[in-house]
Amino acid sequence: MTDAKRLKGDKLTEAEAIERAKLGDAEAFHALYDLHRRRVYSLCLRMTGNTASAEDLTQEAFLQLFRKIGTFRGESAFSTWLHRMSVNVVLMQLRKKNLPVVPLEETMEGDEEGTVRKEPGAPDERLAGSIDRLQLQRAVDELPPGYRTIFVLHDVEGYEHNEIAEMVGCSIGNSKSQLHKARLKLRELLRMNRAEKAGKR
Amino acid sequence: MNCVEFERVLLEGEQTPEQQAHLNSCSACSNLLADLQLISNQAKSLLAADEPSPAVWNALESRLRREGIIRPGESAHPSFGDLFWRWRTAWLVPVAAAFVLVGVVRLHHPAPAGDNAPIAKQSVATPPVTAAVSSDDQQLLKTVASRPPAQRARYRANLDDANAFIRDAQDAIRNDPNDAYRQQMLINAYEQKQMLYQLAVDNVSEQ
Repeated sequence: MTDAKRLKGDKLTEAEAIERAKLGDAEAFHALYDLHRRRVYSLCLRMTGNTASAEDLTQEAFLQLFRKIGTFRGESAFSTWLHRMSVNVVLMQLRKKNLPVVPLEETMEGDEEGTVRKEPGAPDERLAGSIDRLQLQRAVDELPPGYRTIFVLHDVEGYEHNEIAEMVGCSIGNSKSQLHKARLKLRELLRMNRAEKAGKR
Repeated sequence: MNCVEFERVLLEGEQTPEQQAHLNSCSACSNLLADLQLISNQAKSLLAADEPSPAVWNALESRLRREGIIRPGESAHPSFGDLFWRWRTAWLVPVAAAFVLVGVVRLHHPAPAGDNAPIAKQSVATPPVTAAVSSDDQQLLKTVASRPPAQRARYRANLDDANAFIRDAQDAIRNDPNDAYRQQMLINAYEQKQMLYQLAVDNVSEQ
């Protein structure tokens, strides 16, 4: 995303929309919402797994953004600012509902779940080819909330472990560990899903 | 390196010669690595994959207006069609405003010098205004013709009410030119009509 990005049929750049929104211009607010609504909503939906909550949180994230838009000075990209704000809104909501943002600090030692070790003779199938987006989406929704948060922030949204650690309040090591376990869990869920489908045929 | 050690290194995201050597000899770890990379790559497809319902913007816009963040009187999404309609119908508002102005001017400056029948003159001056109202009313009803029947009926009923008030007040003033109460009623009725015109135009631009 760059400030030179044109909005609304080449009429308005993002930078122009931001400046006009600071003056209370309704069309500029709508243009900025239009540009970012999918990403913000998808983030909220992935992290909560619930469409009603995701819509409420999307509204809340944009509301906070527009309330503070007068303070935006352009030191960081607007999208970075907005998405960070959206993550904070979602995390705050998860904490309010006492949902785990990240599981307790733990290491891989002594944790057998999701490791590659297999029982002798167990089938060793790979997830061949590409993964269907809807299947992956469903599997992400089935992840425990703590794993889901880290997976979405790192693999979907592209945040680094140090940024995630700061946002969710955990160590970098814990963030890495949770990400790894989240991917292992997803692999398990996807494989189960494929096995179920194969069984139905 | 065994499978457990391999996984620990994998967790750290490092690439070591030992890891590569293990991958060459262990199909389970090799498959695992390929799958995890596939999942990680496919995760990007979930970015901006979903669309919020229009209700989100409607609720957001409403809150922005309530909090005064959006400047009052602005429409958030004037499309070309909206702008065209606004242009087509905007003239109704000044016409309605002119009704109020004409009413006020005639009430407060009723009689040129030597005119012994100010109200008679006023009533003589009324027909063109009344005729214009009728024609403008038709335009207003045409503007709201595409609305749901219940909304259309409300516009019609409100318009009829406003016109009835105007007629009653005009009749009363004709009988008693000094009836301040009726004069105020006439102005109120014109203002009510102006508001109806404004609402029709604003709603068209927001559709």
